[in-house]
Formats: sequence, C-alpha cells, structure tokens
Amino acid sequence: MIRRIPIASRIKIALIDALQETVTKVIQQTGSLHNCKYADIRIGINEMKHASAEDGKAKGAGEDASISFGIRMLAGEMTAWGYYGQELGEAESTPKSIHKKLTLGMHTAYARAVTNAKKKAEFQSLAPSLREVNLAKIDICNDTIHATFDEDPRNAPLKDIITLCTTTSQDMRSISKDVHYTYAHVQTGINRELFCSTEGACIDQSYALTQGVVSVVAQKAGGIPEICYDYVGDLRGWEVLKDKNVYQQSFDEFALLRTRETVELIDAEFLSATDEPVIVVTNPHFNALLVHEIVGHPTEADRALKLETAYAGRSWLFWDFDDNELEKQIASPLLTAYSDPSIHGYGHYKYDMEGTPGKRVNLIENGIFKGFMNGREQAAILNQPPNGSMRATESYYVPLVRMTNTVFANGNTPPSEIIAEVRDGYYIVNHRIPSISESRENFRISSQRVYKIENGQTTTLYRQGGITADSKDFLMNIDAIGNDFEVFPVPHCGKGQPMQIMRVGNGSPTLRSKARLTGH
Amino acid sequence: MITIEELRTCIRNGMDFVKRQKDVIDAEIFASWNEHITVRLNYTSDIPCNGVHEPKSTQMNGISLWVVFRAGKGIKVGFGSVSNTISQKGIREAFRKARKNRIYDPDFKSFPLPAGKPTLENYHDPAAMEMSDETIVDLGWKGLKGALAEFNKGHFNKSIIVGGDITIIKERVAIANTHGIDDFDESTILMTNITSMIEKERVKGTGWTTSTHMSSFNPEEAGKESAESAIKTIGGGRISSGTYNVIFGRQPLTDLFTNIIIPALSLSTVNVSDTPFLKKLGQRVTSDLLNVYDDGTIKGAAGSKRISCEGIPTGRTNLIYNGFLVGFLANNYLSQKLENVFTSFIPRNGFRYYKDGRSHTIQPRICPTNIVIEGKDEIDRQSLFSKIHNGVYIGRIWYTYPINGLAAGDFTSTIIADSYLVEKGKIVKPLQPNTIRINSNIKDILNNIIAISKDKKQTIVWGGEEIVLAPEMAVQGVKLDNISGFTP
Repeated sequence: MIRRIPIASRIKIALIDALQETVTKVIQQTGSLHNCKYADIRIGINEMKHASAEDGKAKGAGEDASISFGIRMLAGEMTAWGYYGQELGEAESTPKSIHKKLTLGMHTAYARAVTNAKKKAEFQSLAPSLREVNLAKIDICNDTIHATFDEDPRNAPLKDIITLCTTTSQDMRSISKDVHYTYAHVQTGINRELFCSTEGACIDQSYALTQGVVSVVAQKAGGIPEICYDYVGDLRGWEVLKDKNVYQQSFDEFALLRTRETVELIDAEFLSATDEPVIVVTNPHFNALLVHEIVGHPTEADRALKLETAYAGRSWLFWDFDDNELEKQIASPLLTAYSDPSIHGYGHYKYDMEGTPGKRVNLIENGIFKGFMNGREQAAILNQPPNGSMRATESYYVPLVRMTNTVFANGNTPPSEIIAEVRDGYYIVNHRIPSISESRENFRISSQRVYKIENGQTTTLYRQGGITADSKDFLMNIDAIGNDFEVFPVPHCGKGQPMQIMRVGNGSPTLRSKARLTGH
Repeated sequence: MITIEELRTCIRNGMDFVKRQKDVIDAEIFASWNEHITVRLNYTSDIPCNGVHEPKSTQMNGISLWVVFRAGKGIKVGFGSVSNTISQKGIREAFRKARKNRIYDPDFKSFPLPAGKPTLENYHDPAAMEMSDETIVDLGWKGLKGALAEFNKGHFNKSIIVGGDITIIKERVAIANTHGIDDFDESTILMTNITSMIEKERVKGTGWTTSTHMSSFNPEEAGKESAESAIKTIGGGRISSGTYNVIFGRQPLTDLFTNIIIPALSLSTVNVSDTPFLKKLGQRVTSDLLNVYDDGTIKGAAGSKRISCEGIPTGRTNLIYNGFLVGFLANNYLSQKLENVFTSFIPRNGFRYYKDGRSHTIQPRICPTNIVIEGKDEIDRQSLFSKIHNGVYIGRIWYTYPINGLAAGDFTSTIIADSYLVEKGKIVKPLQPNTIRINSNIKDILNNIIAISKDKKQTIVWGGEEIVLAPEMAVQGVKLDNISGFTP
C-alpha cells in the first residue's frame, strides 16, 4: 500500500539538505553564460506558527511554511547587475522542479544584467561616472550554522499559541474599565537560508525567531486615547515568551505591565513643548530607537554613497570623499557606538547575505566617527574592508546594507546616580514614534512616558511627550552614560524599493544630554 | 504567467470541492498572480555608480481558502493558503490548512453578498503584461536620460545625484464565495518617481508620473521634471521658526493623506479606537471647503480596480463632504463587526495588498484605491498664492508620522525639496531643503484650509498604497521650526 504523503510535509527547513546539490549545479551553469562575472543564489525556507487576538477573542492563527529564492547576477562587457526573485510553493518543492525554476530565474537575471551593461556603456558619454560593478574581495566560506533555542519553536502547539494570545489580551482588557482595546500577536518559527556563489561559497544558516506584540488603547470618557504598542522578541525559541528576553518577563507579564502604564497615563498631564533645550535623561529603551535613527541609519554605506537619496535619505556623516566626518569628533568623548552581529538580538548572524562573515563595526569611538556598515560593492567604492552588513527580509528580495545589533556602548554610572545629579530636568522613558530629517541630522522622537526630575528625584508623570534636537548637538552634549546596557528588538525598519521591513537589534544604556521637549 | 481563465477555473474547481465537504457552511476562494518589477536608478556624478542600479522583479501566485466550519452548535473560521500552484492539489492543501487553522471568532458574521456590476472592464494594458526584459531596463535608462539631459542643458555636471525608480505592477485575481460572488480583475500599474539633486547647491527636485498603459507612460519626462525643479531651487535660503501661511503642494498633501488622514478615515483605526475621527460621524471635522472621497472606478487612474479582493465592485465612497465626516473606508469583516456602532458602509475597500501585489497569503484588510481631494470652491493656482499672500510653498515633505499616536492628531515632518518663500502672492525665493521641520496637529491643518486648487495630479509617495488625485492646498497658521540642515 502506498501511503499518501500530504504535500505540506515537503515544506520543512530540512528540504534545504536536498537542495544543496541543485543550487550548486545551477550556479555552475553560469559558467556557460558569456561574460557572466558573478552570480549568487539564496534559497530560503521559513517555518512559522502565529496567532492573534483582540479583546480576548481569537482573530487569526496559522501554521505555515514558505520557500523563495533570489538570484543576483553580474554580467556584460561593462559589468552591471540583473536580479530575479520568486516565491515557490508546495507543488514545486522537489529538487527537480526547483532546478527548473532556478534555471529560468538565472536566465532572466542574466538577460537583465547583459541589457543593463550594454545600456550603461552607451550612456557613458552622458554620464562619465558610470563604472563596472566591482565587489571587494572576501574570504570564501563553506559553513553550516544551526538555529539556537532552548525550546524548539516547531514544537509549540498552535492551540497553545492561540490560547496565549486570547488569555493575554483578555487579561489586559480586565485591568481597567478605561481599557478600550487590547491586541496580542505571537509568532514563532525557524528560518533557514542557503547561499551559494560562483566564487565557491556555500553557507547554510538557520535562525529561530520568537516574537510577541501587544497593543493597548486606554481612554477616559471624552479624553484623548493613550495608545501603547510594544514588542518582546529574539532570534531564539519559545523560551523567549517565558522570560528569556530583555525584560526578563513572560509575555503576559510584559503585556500587563504595558497596560497598567497606559492606564496610568490617561490621568497624567500633557507635556508642554519647550523653545530651548533642557536636561534630559533618556532610558535604554528610548535610546534604542535614538541610536537606530541618528547613528545606525547614517552609518549605512549605501546611504552615504547616495543610493537612498530618493527614499530613506542620505547621511549627515558623508558629504563627499573630501568632505565628511570620518575621524572627526561628532559626539561626546564619553560616547562609543558599534554594530555587532555576534551579540544576541534581532541583528544576530554569522554571515551576511553576500556570504561575508559579519564583523563588529566600530561606528563611533570616544566621540570620533570611525566608519560605515557596508556590503561588498560599497566597500570597494569606499576602499574599506567588507564588514558583512547586507541583508534582505526574504530570500527573493535584493540584500541591502542593514543595521545588525547597533548600539551605544555601555558606561559605568548607575542610572540612579545620573538622575540624582539633575536639579531640574526630565526623564524620557521608552521610545514610541520617530520622525527624522532626510540625512538624519535632526530628530523628533516621542516617548511612552516623561517624568519631571526635581532635585535628583523623578516627580510628575507626563503623557504625549518626547524630545527634538539636531543629532550632532545631542551627541556632543552627552555628559553621562549608564551601566544598564540592554539590546531591544526593533522589528519594523523600512528601507529600499520595494520597501523591505527588517528586524534589527538596537541597544544602549541610560544617557544624559540636552534637547527641546515636544508635547501635545 | 498565469491567465485570468486559469485563475477562474481554479476558483470554480475550489468551490466545487468545498461544497462537497460535510463540515463546511460557507467559503471564499481567492487566487492571484502578481509580478512586481522595479528598475532602481542611482547616478552620482562624483561617486562611481551604475546609473540603473538593478533591474529586478519578484513574482508570486497561489490560492487561499477562508472557510466557515460547523463546530458543535456554533461555527469556527479558518484561513489557509498555498503558493505557486493553482492546481486541485493546491486547493486541497489550502483547505487542509484552513481546517487546521480554524478558530472561534465571535466577530465573524459572513462573507459578502454580490453587490452589483463592476464599472471598469478591460482597463489593463496587455502590452505592459507582456513587457520584455529589454523594455524594462530601457525604461530605467530613459528616466535617467531625462534628468541628465536637463542638467547638461544647464551645464550642471558635477555634484549631481539622480535616484528613484520605475515600478511596474501586474496583477491578476479571481474570487468566488458560497454567496454567489464569482468575479475577476486584471490591472497594470506603471509608476516613476525620480529625485534629482545638485548636492553642492543644496537643491533637490522631484518628478513623477503614473499610468495604467505603456502608451502614456513617460519616465523621461519625470526625470526632466526632477532636474528642472532642482535647478529652479538654486540659491535657497532659510526662514526663522514661526507660524506661517503655507501652500501644500501635491506631494506633501499626498504624504499627509497617505500617512495621517486616510488611515484615520478607515474602520481599521475605528476598530482600535485610534483615530481623531472616532464618534465624529455626521459632525463637522474640517473646513467646509474640503471634500474627500475614495473612487476605484476612475478610468486611467493608477489606483483603479474593477473589484475589491472580496469581490465587491469598486465605487465611490464619500469620506468628507463640505467639511462633514460622512464615511469610513471599510472591508466586509469590519463593516459587519461595527454595524451596531455605525450605519453599515459598503465594504468596497477590502484588499489583500501585501509585499508585491494582491496577495493570496493574507485575508482582506482595508486599503484605499484612488483618493480624490476636492475643494468646494476650487480656484486657480495664482489665486491660491494670492490667498496666502505671504508664506511658504511646500513642495515635498518626508517622514511624516503621527508622533503621539493617530488619535491625538499631532504630526511632524521635514521639508526636503521643491519649496519656496511666497511674498505678496508670488514665489520670491527658493527654500533650502532639510532646514524646516513642520510640527502641527492634523485637526488644525484641516480646519485652517483657506483654499484648494482646481488642477490635480495622480501622486504617490514612498510606501504608500493609494494614488492621490492631489490638488494644491492653502492652509493658514502652520508651525514651522528651523533645524540644522545637512551641510559640510
């Protein structure tokens, strides 16, 4: 008797084992393409379970797997890029059918690269800075990285995930009659991606992901609602939602804390904006978004080289090769910032999506700007070593320069001392929403809560507040750095066209500086 | 490429299949094929570059089933999807997933009923559907040529940046449900967005074009427009912080509508109590000069669709009429969930936009189509400038967010291009980009409208889903703050 195997059983991350040979064969075929200089293929499988609930009622659930691939190609006389990406499905998840799809994709990417290269050559008289693409050299690696977890996310029963969401959102709702809406969303799973290039690299990396999201809306009758939206998550297993996370709280405890804080805020005064800078102490959660926006983004080499001018913007750290902030003081000598994929957090990995080993990049050392996160093409232009910062949100998207775990380094002053030294100032607690100017030279970021600091003590609680400053002024004015460093999950970083929403890690200790207050 | 006929056959086979399942009460089947092509531009005169950085595309197709199952005396609903197949096997697998994923959701009422005939027929461009790789790459170089030729004409060769993209979206969908909906849609959307700079002059210009057909799609013109605008703003100055009368140009108006106003006019934000328009239906919420509606039936507009992703014919949904709040964008699920709170809205805006098209992998959420902004008494451009007398013309803003949450209405944004000082009703001087931050509240903006122009242009902003048929709008008393700017 032949046992019928459900189609879905084929889509598991284990399928990658059977695809190594297929992908290698397709990569080898590029050798027969005239003037093909380089190609790489990424094929990824994402096994994920998820559920969501509002106000104690289940809203959705799923247990699914997706598979997709992307092919980058450099070809033509005047070497240019061509790219093709596609989602695959259950019906096409045999090595034979995937071989066919990859071969078709490779020919499409090649045709685009060759046409693009031809046009580039034709345009050189009108546009003399056009050049052949040059990729900086890297160590060619063959490696397998296994996912890290205590509790395998694939073993988490879907019904338990649904129950966690419904009970959490119900518990949040029951905290106060002023709670008008609650939401909980949980996802857990494993992503595995195989990278092979014509240079001989073959890297097989797997990472677990577990994330919980809560949202709560609280409102007094006739008042303005107070809304909180926050996350807990890490590239680990189900244990993240127990207490192995930055908050060291279970998902439910985290959700209830955010709900209580939100309810507390609806009785608070609105913060008034100031015309002049005041002393502000900003906590690690707030600084996670701050470092993301005013240090992380402007230290992405593609922005510095103007590739994001039409979209996410340029970098205030790089005007041109002659005029930039490299090796200049841009921050207080107390401040160091770096980006490090080797530490835990959403930006953790061993190799980036060009197969480059991920390295710690020192961005600011004792206030001096030191360099950019890059990919191979930007590294060649900037004449810097590649540091492995290229990532894409899905295997079928083109990799871009992305933050890893980008942080302000730890200091050695207890945060309580930093506050105690302030006679008159404000304590800015937890980030909310950012708005940053085009080259990241100015920011306005709102916070979940603001406290007045009077004679070294936090006193009045305010709502709907935040701070605004020119980035360099804020960084230069830092006069105290806490010893309470933490890395937080930042799951919604948009960049590129089409826009890719990336998970990155951002962290910091407590800081003290000066900024104008913003309010309602 | 999968044809409409193949998608329709798939969903009809799917309906036959689900009707045979004993525990199924109702079902909706959606099948789609989408291709998203992007040709990204990057020219930098002083940095080695590629001109057309990368011609790229992503493609997806598949099926989803949303099924109502019997569960004891009640019901459970489940959603399942499969990708890259529209076969019978795929239907069975999507159904298996829907059954496995079923939940008890007391807010689910039913799938939509058939609701009349669609207005649009055959509005897509077969030529765009069949576009060759050579044509795709060529469109990118045309966009770049438009900008560079204009710069060359003005003898600007150094410190030049040209960025942006040509985007082509091809969508085919078919949908059926057990209430009798059985329909399809096929659309092509072509867009160019180009930003040009002469960086040492600290100027930036924007050009864009949208179309549904290749014959009227002109990336070269968008490139030219962006360079012209950059050149026009050379010699820009700064202004001091203060409160100004302003004219919002088409791009900033689209930015405000895409990021603040339209999300606030959706049942999605009503459902979570996060809109400044909560409990305001029927009340005056803006200046009486303003009319806003969503209309997915406008021929030639890039946001038009024949049907929603729930099979409802698109149409006009009035949102603000002479300053009064008269409607919200709705999908079937939320219009039924909230029917006790509101009079029921026709759920014309249930779409499954996700990643690169109308995706079979998600359930319908609420998305706009073409947003039309009109004035009660529209005036010409010169009269609009006369209305503000002295103030600022804002041509492009960036990073517009509801900084304290949507319900509070506070927003902030920076002015990054195409902007000027206005004195005595005339443009007198360009404004240096990146030197002004807008800090305001959307309710103040909407209540302080003093005039709206006649001329409109289809406009889209980065990350936006809707096309906005945007006029220019004069508003009094907008708070502008001086910021550092990006200078060496």
